Amino acid sequence: MKRWGKFGSVISCFITGTALVLAVPGVAVQASGFPEIGPLPLKEVPKESLAKMGQRLFFDVRVSGDGAISCATCHDPAQGFTRQVGKEGKPMALSDAYPGTRHFRNAPTLINVVYKADFADTGWGWDGHMGANLNDVIRDQITETMMMNMDMRLMHERMKQDPVYVQMCQDNFNGECSSGKGRKALVAFLQTLVSKDAPFDNDSLSGEAQLGRLLFEGKANCVSCHNGPYFSDGQPHNTGVPENLEVFNDPLRHVAYRAVITNHGVPKADIWRRDVGYFLVSKDYRDVGSFITPTLREVVHTAPYMHNGMLQTLEEVVEFYTAGGGHDDPLATELKPLELNGVEQAQLVAFLRSLSSPVAPAAQKVAIPLEYEPIDDWLEVKN
Amino acid sequence: MKLSIPSPFVFSLVTVLLLACTNTMADRDPILSKIDLDADPPLAPLPPPPAPLDNPITQAKADLGMKLFFDPKMTGDASLSCGDCHDPKQGWGFNDPISRGYPGTVHWRNSQTVVNTAYLGKLFWQGNAKSLEAQAPIANKGAVAGNGEDDVMEARLRQTPYYIQKFREIFGTELPNLGDAWMAIATFERTLSQRDTPLDRYLAGDKEALSETALKGKELFEGKANCIECHNGPTLTDEKYYNLGVPRPLEWEEMGLNTVTFRWEAYAKGVHEKYYRDWKDDAGLYYSTKRPTDVGKHRTAPLRYLAYTAPYMHAGQFYTLEEVIDFYDEGGGDNEFTDGTHGLENKTPILKPLNLNDEEKESLVVFLEEISGDEIRLKLPEVPPYEVMPDVPGLTQARAKRIGLETYLARTAQQ
Repeated sequence: MKRWGKFGSVISCFITGTALVLAVPGVAVQASGFPEIGPLPLKEVPKESLAKMGQRLFFDVRVSGDGAISCATCHDPAQGFTRQVGKEGKPMALSDAYPGTRHFRNAPTLINVVYKADFADTGWGWDGHMGANLNDVIRDQITETMMMNMDMRLMHERMKQDPVYVQMCQDNFNGECSSGKGRKALVAFLQTLVSKDAPFDNDSLSGEAQLGRLLFEGKANCVSCHNGPYFSDGQPHNTGVPENLEVFNDPLRHVAYRAVITNHGVPKADIWRRDVGYFLVSKDYRDVGSFITPTLREVVHTAPYMHNGMLQTLEEVVEFYTAGGGHDDPLATELKPLELNGVEQAQLVAFLRSLSSPVAPAAQKVAIPLEYEPIDDWLEVKN
Repeated sequence: MKLSIPSPFVFSLVTVLLLACTNTMADRDPILSKIDLDADPPLAPLPPPPAPLDNPITQAKADLGMKLFFDPKMTGDASLSCGDCHDPKQGWGFNDPISRGYPGTVHWRNSQTVVNTAYLGKLFWQGNAKSLEAQAPIANKGAVAGNGEDDVMEARLRQTPYYIQKFREIFGTELPNLGDAWMAIATFERTLSQRDTPLDRYLAGDKEALSETALKGKELFEGKANCIECHNGPTLTDEKYYNLGVPRPLEWEEMGLNTVTFRWEAYAKGVHEKYYRDWKDDAGLYYSTKRPTDVGKHRTAPLRYLAYTAPYMHAGQFYTLEEVIDFYDEGGGDNEFTDGTHGLENKTPILKPLNLNDEEKESLVVFLEEISGDEIRLKLPEVPPYEVMPDVPGLTQARAKRIGLETYLARTAQQ
């Protein structure tokens, strides 16, 4: 189901829709052939003590190799679990990364990410290079050089040295700490980051938003990719978003970019001055510039937009699609101009806003001690 | 010096057979029979630094290696270089008992000097790298050392026009390859050889090169104190492994960060869980061989450049040469791998109380200090900066994709 692009969008979307019905039983298919947009299905609530353990790890810089960054560094709870402004308060289109590198993409939100795990056929990350299993993705992010550059065995030993984790592991798992238990706890924490009171879910759409929904599912055809309760088909598409040239004008971002595509076997890693996107996975040149459809939930809280943060506001995004997407890539054929007038564009924006909670789900920062205490009677106890 | 009690552990069967064979030959051969086959290689001047056939020493390569040695691009978060744990101002080592390690961590062994490593066939205290070319990437990639990753380190070199130019000139590659970086670093390290110490001059015939006290020390070194049993040859090491009963460093029980690293090492080196749980000391060579007789053994340290490389032993257990000599004078010490705690009694039988008097100890110290020679200092090189990479001339990015796509479509059409 990962083959796209060359065929007409309707056909491809139809195929995808069918695939998702197979992949996610229980999601209704609407007349258009796409999985129906609707409220997020209820999920099992994670054990509170386990989520608390995950929350502590989420804010713990010791989860990174050099103890400089935590998950929250790029997925800041105060910024919709993304990173929108830097330390100096300047807007950031592209994320930070592990010290000594900078990232070449926009950090996606973690709110509702647990729903993404329902898409078994979906690759994770903007380019789909990770497997669709939250635990695996967490491991990837912790160990990936650009992200946290952490040795999992070292994470294991660091947790074992912190009495708070030792207690948490006893309480939740009745056993000694391990990095695997840490990952399970992080999954539990992410399970708590779910939209609760978006107007769309409460049936409280304004009149303008209701008209926007009609456009979303009709004339604007957003639903061809942003469908299902998560508002994503989990598939790669090329919408012609312009390159963010900062990736190539900032040597540290270029280093990170080249290291990643080299690591994934992209040929001629040195010549590319554009983000190859899903090509990284498929090695099919038709996929150059394709990126996995992001969710639209909580979109108000997660600006800027697109894989490289090139669009700042929802108005800009709607304008971009109205124009038929970007034209950076002459081979991208998925989008057509939409001929939406100003009123209609505003209605679409109103609908997009209705997918966001008035206040984004957040999490209280956990204070972490910087020093490791010695273990009492170390010589007498087993390691 | 004869080995007084040959330990059955020291000789493998093959060695014993070989020795038996040569002994028989020696009995028959009139010349060989006059040679003491158990003799320790004598102290000798350092020869010119050897280099592998595939990595000959050139000035250009050494200069490049020097830049790389001090360039933090070669580690995980680009905050430290080889030169941070092998600091020219700290004897090309690190003067804490246990090396500083990667940020957020601490190492677990003493950082050894780079000076004169050209002559060694076993690098690290555990001897687990057999060449400088092999040693560098292990150090730069270990989680408590450099924590670097190949693709990132290589991408950083390729983002640096100075390196692109130099690698092209020296290695003939279009773009820098990481493997060549280790070759260059190894070459630079080979140039840190010190062949004009008082010892070298003395052994070359300059009888004034060593003081009278140092000469007394030398005599003890080769005689009563029997240091030469292990510290022999031009490098003053036999590059074999011994458990001297050096005590466990206190850091592992007293500092939480050190405890983390200690356990991590045992975990990462793949010891059986039982030993991971029970052992509280560095099992040394055992991590490489997994042979119980190797537990707690470390490779004999070279003694050149010693005055600049305190503290001493694999975890810097001794701050001064006086302490070291006191330790040997008492016949070494005990640790959990020698005292039967785990059913192991691996202490080398070579060590015996030496009954040295204060004057003798002092002359040994003087000998070791004098043979250390002059300190090798260096003006730190400037590290070449990253630069924005120009676009490929004549290749638009749409075209890059199109070329790939057309190639792809042509191929699928043929199938």
